Amino acid sequence: MTTPTSPAPTADIDIHRLTALADVMLPAAHGMPAVSDVKAVESYLPQVLGWRKDLHQPLVRAVDALDPSLFTIDRLSALHEEDEDAYVALTTAVAACYYLSPVVRELIGYPGQAAKTYDPFAYTEWVAEGLLDPVVDRGPIWREVPG
Amino acid sequence: MTYRADVLIIGAGASGGVAARHLAEHGFDVVCLEQGDWPDRSAFPGARPDWELAIRKDWAMSPNVRSRPEDYPVVHDDSDIEPLMYNAVGGSMIIYAGTWPRMLPSDFRVRTMDGVGDDWPIAYSDLVPYYNAIDQQIGVSGLAGDPAYPPHDDYPLPPLPLGAAGRRVAEGHNRLGWHWWPEPNAILSAPYDGRRPCVQRGVCTSGCAEGAKASTDLTHWPKATAAGARLITGARVSRITMDPRGLATGAVWLDRSGVEHHQEADVVILAANAIGTARLLLLSADDRHCPDGLANSSGLVGRRLMMHPFSVVTGWWDDQVEGWQGHFGASITSYQFYETDPDREFVRGAKWALSPVGGPLNHILPMRAGNEVWGPDHHELMGRTFGRGASWAIFGEDLPEEPNRVDLDPERTDSHGIPAPRVSYRISDHSRRLMAFQEARAEESLRASGCRETAVASMIPYSGWHLMGTARMGNDSASSVVNTRQQAHDVPNLYIADASVFVTSSGVNPTCTITALALRTADLLVQHRSEQKVPA
Ligand SMILES: Cc1cc2nc3c(=O)[nH]c(=O)nc-3n(C[C@H](O)[C@H](O)[C@H](O)COP(=O)(O)OP(=O)(O)OC[C@H]3O[C@@H](n4cnc5c(N)ncnc54)[C@H](O)[C@@H]3O)c2cc1C
Ligand code: SF4
Repeated sequence: MTTPTSPAPTADIDIHRLTALADVMLPAAHGMPAVSDVKAVESYLPQVLGWRKDLHQPLVRAVDALDPSLFTIDRLSALHEEDEDAYVALTTAVAACYYLSPVVRELIGYPGQAAKTYDPFAYTEWVAEGLLDPVVDRGPIWREVPG
Repeated sequence: MTYRADVLIIGAGASGGVAARHLAEHGFDVVCLEQGDWPDRSAFPGARPDWELAIRKDWAMSPNVRSRPEDYPVVHDDSDIEPLMYNAVGGSMIIYAGTWPRMLPSDFRVRTMDGVGDDWPIAYSDLVPYYNAIDQQIGVSGLAGDPAYPPHDDYPLPPLPLGAAGRRVAEGHNRLGWHWWPEPNAILSAPYDGRRPCVQRGVCTSGCAEGAKASTDLTHWPKATAAGARLITGARVSRITMDPRGLATGAVWLDRSGVEHHQEADVVILAANAIGTARLLLLSADDRHCPDGLANSSGLVGRRLMMHPFSVVTGWWDDQVEGWQGHFGASITSYQFYETDPDREFVRGAKWALSPVGGPLNHILPMRAGNEVWGPDHHELMGRTFGRGASWAIFGEDLPEEPNRVDLDPERTDSHGIPAPRVSYRISDHSRRLMAFQEARAEESLRASGCRETAVASMIPYSGWHLMGTARMGNDSASSVVNTRQQAHDVPNLYIADASVFVTSSGVNPTCTITALALRTADLLVQHRSEQKVPA
């Protein structure tokens, strides 16, 4: 099972090459930084592969198969056809690294899955306000069964 | 050393837990064999940064993807829907969403009312006392008075928060004149029975570390074991054993190291879910008495599998609604298009449940609605959608068809070498018409609620969370596997407590009904204990 794990060694993955690929997938645009701007791959890949060891080998294959100087989104789609596991490993690892970055999380307004408190009796307010009244006023919609 | 129990239950999930507690509290000596372990809540991934990675592998809903030793593979190459489940004390409730609707009166009479499927041999009214009791045991949060249902007892706890999205869609439905109601959920909105309330983290389908979401490891097993029930984990049953008189004598099981044991019992109750139970009945075939599988003189064991075709319709507003947050069960529900309307091209209908849409990875690598977009447009899409959406989860009534079935795979096995179940299942043309109609209405609903954009993920394959129908209930032993007490027609001391017995699927999430039926079965066993046939 996945439990908090130590980072995985990534010596067999060319981090610069992977970052170059990742920058094509998630470039700087629309006010968001590129993967390299937030150092997402070098900062988080060991942790991501520590959590998801199953991604390691297919990611190695993806990085080997793709030439960063020729890489395009069309080439990424072609990888999907050629080697689905490599495609899934590449997209998952790149996206996971990027969205672990606190800078990126801040920019998209995502604090993680946070715990919240609430008043369980707050419903009495919207009931009193009449939110359900039209539903109740239309009457029953279930069907009586014969017998 | 083995000893003979009054009752052996196979499977410690939803139905097994409910039956065990009731029987143990009524003086039965109960043993339960469960292939999984007690869940370790500290290992649940929801509050960890790797949550969205974990749910794609070690915490996947699919046993084939998780591939833990306690999981058995389910072969589904020939199925439009992939079966999903969890194997542990608490069963699939560990990862279920916790939505807790009852079935409706018409669900039990689809042949009479709509000319399709079959009527159940019991009625909604037979289940009402058990629905009421189970809601109390589970700790259901909800609001009584839903006009989609006959009046019934109030829920023990107030409804969970509507959230910003729930409120908007409720108002949208009021504008359309369509039904909505706060969804009843098996999730605590306030402290109850020593458990803490939901904190709205939105990670329910990878385990609720808070313990707010009901599962029988919390709600039933501690009480069952306190009343004397024995729960053996890491115990995988390979077959049910029989005596020459045609009575079940117990079951053979394998421990984690593969050592074989035999548990004897007066009565055997199968509670292994509609795939696990069908698998065990087929594995228990014996050349002399039941060459086609145990309790299978009707030939229906494994057949009529129903899984609820499932679509997701997502809508996005212009502003934030914190769409990753909130209990995953559902904030609100709609039964506007549940009952049959003769003007439509199909009969029966679907239930809708409004759910959150998950974190960033679920947007980029969607398991539900949406597309993968890379390059500069990725950021435009995220800016437009992230945190701004909610999804209608649509469960269509699935009518029983004999070719949709579970049998044994000739090659694949589990980690103990026991043949794996194989699922063959096709979504019917009727279901396709039904779902297309519902999807179009759900888009209207979200537009009327102010969404700027909507997307439909139609009949997604990764959605086999409701497993039903593989050993149907009926009065006639030629056309059903169990009677109205869920006792096998062919084997009078063998009972089935899980959703295998469903005659039709209804269009609602099944676990409220599964547990009400399991409680009823256990209760009737208590009432009729003096006349129960047992092996010598
Ligand atoms: C992701 C997901 C979301 C869901 N959401 C909802 C929801 O919101 N609302 C709802 O009503 N339902 C929901 N469900 C369905 C719900 O979880 C099931 O209906 C319910 O758990 C079924 O109960 P059961 O007792 O039949 O089987 P289970 O709870 O699946 O338990 C069966 C148990 O039997 C054990 N077992 C099987 N074979 C053997 C064997 N050979 N030997 C020993 N042990 C064995 C298994 O390990 C398992 O623990 C969801 C399911 C999933 C997977
Ligand atoms: S949202 Fe509520 S029920 Fe779901 S996991 Fe969090 S605390 Fe549990």
